[in-house]
Amino acid sequence: MSKNYNVIGQSKPKIDGPEKVTGGAKYTGDLKFPNMLHGKILTSPHAHARIISIDTSEAEKLPGVKAVITHKDVPTLKYGLSPARWDENIFCSEKTRFVGDKVAAVACLDEETCYKALKLIKVEYEVLPAVLDFLTAMDEGQPQVHEEYAKNINTEIHQEFGDCAKAFAEAYHVRTDTFIGQRTYQCPIEPHSAISMWDGGKLTIYSSTQSPHYFQHYIAREFGMDIGDVRVLKTFVGGGFGGKLEPTGLEFAGVVLAKLTSRPVRMFYDRAEMFAHNRGRHAQQMEITTGVDKDGKILVAHANFKMDGGAYTSLGIASAYYAGALLPMTYEFDNFKFDMFRVYTNLPACGAQRGHGAPQPKYAFESHLDNVAKDLGIDPMDIRIRNARRADTVTPNDFKINSCHMKECLERARIISGWDEKKKNKVPGRGIGVSTGSFVTGAGYPIYRTDMPHASAFIRVNEDGTAATLYTGSVDIGQGSDTVMCQMAAEAMGYRYEQMKIVASDTETTPLDFGAYASRQTYMSGTAVKLAGEEVKKQILDMASFMLSVPPEDLDCEDGIIFSKSREDKSVSFQEVARKHFVLRGPLLGKGVYTPPKLGGTFKGAAVGTSPAYSFGAQIGEVQIDAETGEISVLGIWDVHDCGKVINPRLLHGQVHGALFMGMGESVWEEVLFDDKGKIINPELANYKMLTAMDMPPIESEVIDSYEPTGPWGAKEVGEGSTNPTLGMFSNAIFDAMGVRVNSLPLTYEKVWRALKEKREREEAGEGA
Amino acid sequence: MYMPDYEYHAPGNLAEACALLGELGGKVTVLAGGSDVLHKMKIGSLAPDHLVSLKNLKELREIRYEQGRGVVIGALVTHDGIYRSQLLQEHFLSLPMAAHTMANTQITNIGTIGGNIVNGSPLADLPPILVALGASVKLVGRSGERVLPLEEFIVGPGKTVIAQDEILTEIVIPDQATTGSTYKKFGLRKSGALAVVSVAAAVTVEGGTITDARIVLGAVAPVPLRAKSAEASLKGKKVSDAAIEEAAAAAAADSRPISDLRGSDEYRRELVRVFTKRALRKAIDEGHV
Ligand SMILES: Cc1cc2nc3c(=O)[nH]c(=O)nc-3n(C[C@H](O)[C@H](O)[C@H](O)COP(=O)(O)OP(=O)(O)OC[C@H]3O[C@@H](n4cnc5c(N)ncnc54)[C@H](O)[C@@H]3O)c2cc1C
Repeated sequence: MSKNYNVIGQSKPKIDGPEKVTGGAKYTGDLKFPNMLHGKILTSPHAHARIISIDTSEAEKLPGVKAVITHKDVPTLKYGLSPARWDENIFCSEKTRFVGDKVAAVACLDEETCYKALKLIKVEYEVLPAVLDFLTAMDEGQPQVHEEYAKNINTEIHQEFGDCAKAFAEAYHVRTDTFIGQRTYQCPIEPHSAISMWDGGKLTIYSSTQSPHYFQHYIAREFGMDIGDVRVLKTFVGGGFGGKLEPTGLEFAGVVLAKLTSRPVRMFYDRAEMFAHNRGRHAQQMEITTGVDKDGKILVAHANFKMDGGAYTSLGIASAYYAGALLPMTYEFDNFKFDMFRVYTNLPACGAQRGHGAPQPKYAFESHLDNVAKDLGIDPMDIRIRNARRADTVTPNDFKINSCHMKECLERARIISGWDEKKKNKVPGRGIGVSTGSFVTGAGYPIYRTDMPHASAFIRVNEDGTAATLYTGSVDIGQGSDTVMCQMAAEAMGYRYEQMKIVASDTETTPLDFGAYASRQTYMSGTAVKLAGEEVKKQILDMASFMLSVPPEDLDCEDGIIFSKSREDKSVSFQEVARKHFVLRGPLLGKGVYTPPKLGGTFKGAAVGTSPAYSFGAQIGEVQIDAETGEISVLGIWDVHDCGKVINPRLLHGQVHGALFMGMGESVWEEVLFDDKGKIINPELANYKMLTAMDMPPIESEVIDSYEPTGPWGAKEVGEGSTNPTLGMFSNAIFDAMGVRVNSLPLTYEKVWRALKEKREREEAGEGA
Repeated sequence: MYMPDYEYHAPGNLAEACALLGELGGKVTVLAGGSDVLHKMKIGSLAPDHLVSLKNLKELREIRYEQGRGVVIGALVTHDGIYRSQLLQEHFLSLPMAAHTMANTQITNIGTIGGNIVNGSPLADLPPILVALGASVKLVGRSGERVLPLEEFIVGPGKTVIAQDEILTEIVIPDQATTGSTYKKFGLRKSGALAVVSVAAAVTVEGGTITDARIVLGAVAPVPLRAKSAEASLKGKKVSDAAIEEAAAAAAADSRPISDLRGSDEYRRELVRVFTKRALRKAIDEGHV
């Protein structure tokens, strides 16, 4: 499919670049409205406590306080993101379930008064024993986090595909390993904020969100309003990574405070409150067993997991299913068993973080696979190539794979990293590791049940043809979707990118789109945009045909010029034709809509992991370990991706770099830590060690020439898939460097140091004997 | 992130500042760069009634050499100012390099050497190398001034001997016979990391023999800790790997680390050994670096 494109496939500059680098871009927290109040939420200082009484009278008396609300003032309807388990209230009424659980809120003339008012709210608690360890949460005699969920079980999954018992019995080699994944937090640089305001019966909320649509849906539901009376929009968003996918107390409490005071109310989280709200990566224990033949071909895999959900469900049911669902992606095997318990604890709720549910299981599987390779004396690269998934296959859990260049990704990464050379000439303390990853290109089903299309878009060409505005519900949270959507619109219309404008993510002016999650927008929103552009093009060619007296079939339009395919003398500018169209036929509009086909099997949970297309990728990393201190230096990373047709190369590689940055942090440096009372001890960026620019290694990011038949121009995802291999890649590189495995994330310097020390001690003891 | 109410003062000169510190009732805190003070106020561990800013005391922003005294560093010199000082780079490059390991650009542009010392944190980056270089501090109060060794100034985590009306004005690194010094910091990322362990060493080597050594450990005791038995073990010894190893082991034994979120006591003790060894080797081989 080598076709020349005029707009896509090029590193067009980001449409919002100048505004962002000049500081002109306004984020939600920067907005000001006349008469705006400031609001803050009072949260529980205890992990688990019964609320005896709440006395707000002193706070209400403080000058500058305009409203104080508790559970008595808000709807009692439980909400959440996964409809199967709505278990969260706007404010706690009987008990609080984690340090940070919402108890009350205030709206005041200024921020300072908010803090003073919060201090004046007297809450009497009876502290209850708390569940802080997810591994024992299901044990007899543990306190109940929610009375209605026995043994603290939030989600229980038991799936089996093929005949696992038979495959294990026939396997040449069976091995089990257990790994622990830690709790991490997305840490978007922009803190969450929301400004709510009422105009009669109509509610408007500016929010730093990844999905105005889901916010609109859930807020309308909570307050019993018509969807049409709730407008949610965003301005610029400084990152989300899964942490801004669901409404928070900022929206729910803000709506009530704004109603009571008849004034706009601005609510925001500070960094520590973001950590407490959380919805980051679950901690989990992952036991992996595989059976392989003597060449290392995987015959069967069993994943037996337990995950720490925290106090509420959030999107965690999906996280639990994803943990198993995406395991059989990059390697082909027919027999697969998946057991999972997601349990409640008295800790902040976990949810979807970049690579939703998949990176830690992938870490476990990829680490395990290297152990198997070592048992059999096979090169880690060879065992992966031997098992690599092929195009046009179906996974045991019924996911249909169209395009897939897993093998080519591995082979290419092998070459550019100098794998064979490095494996042959080992340098002491140095190691190289490989891992694979894959991810959905948009979820096959929406988060709540609906038959609405997943994406829609329309384009209005300006009356004089000098510009065209794309209206899309897709959400640019920094990843660059506004740019990519405009590129796709221009390409489909035969127009110029430089003349595109965009209005996005406003539920009142832009058509429905589910938003920025599950790596869906380039593909799903992009398909709707492409159709809208093609509809414009059809009309413009029809108009031009009339103007040039050439049949429309003989016309095409590229880069703003309409021309005859057969006669060189016949051409006219898009601008001129568009103007004429408005004069003679009215507004020049195009619309497009995208609904995925029916996907997946019929077993329980079959929907999670379905997608119209899947990305694939391989990563290789090389590390140097200081044997005396355990310090890990990353010498280089090589990433090769199969993400279909690339719409904007620079943005694509930016996604790979960003994903690697986050994946690296999760591999070695980041962990949310708690004290023995369930309070986070590092809710700040000094001791929650996100990496810095100084820590980033040289990265080589490449793509395989690939075409996804179902995608717009052959495109599929990259943004989350690139996080998937990273944790396993580090685990394997460190394993290669040390010859011993650390079985828990993060692979800190101290753990590495300890593993080396214990290895030395074992060797010395062995020599002594 | 709540700044409690306080009254703000910015006296015009040193005498005024000392007078004010003496007169003000309630809890009074001196404000230099504010990178420790404001942070503590925001997280609620400090709630002063008065903040007395030193911003007008311009004379405390200088670094100069005084015959007979040595290098004199004003208490308000920022970490970046220390890093860029030609004078310091020529005399004791180890101090600018220590300043360079600190925090990140935003903080090194605003944080001061005086604040780093008076804050009294056991993991602060400048005290260890300053103690190793035998630095003294000058304190000025309403009724006069006093000079004392930095080593005696910090007495516990966040505790110093400074009086309520006193201001730290100068840090003096005396002329000395040392032939080399260096500061090694072990942090968990390349920028913006606090020390898990740090080691400063200053040595005097004459004709291949170590005649004097000062080894100061950071983040492994309530104060920057002189590793006295390590120092003693080196005195009079010929430079050798064995002598360095022995001193490093002694330093590890001298250290009194605790376990916290940055590392266990066991790990820290081992890191003291490793970095004492590396610091000594570097100071012996490369001079003041
Ligand atoms: C993000 C971040 C990272 C950091 N990283 C590091 C790091 O890597 N290494 C490190 O060592 N520190 C670090 N710090 C701590 C801090 O930046 C330093 O200790 C800094 O040197 C403090 O200087 P300051 O001028 O800001 O002090 P201030 O905050 O103004 O004052 C600190 C203390 O000293 C007192 N004080 C200040 N000057 C005087 C004076 N002249 N006379 C009497 N009393 C005085 C104040 O009353 C206060 O008690 C970090 C801080 C932050 C916020």
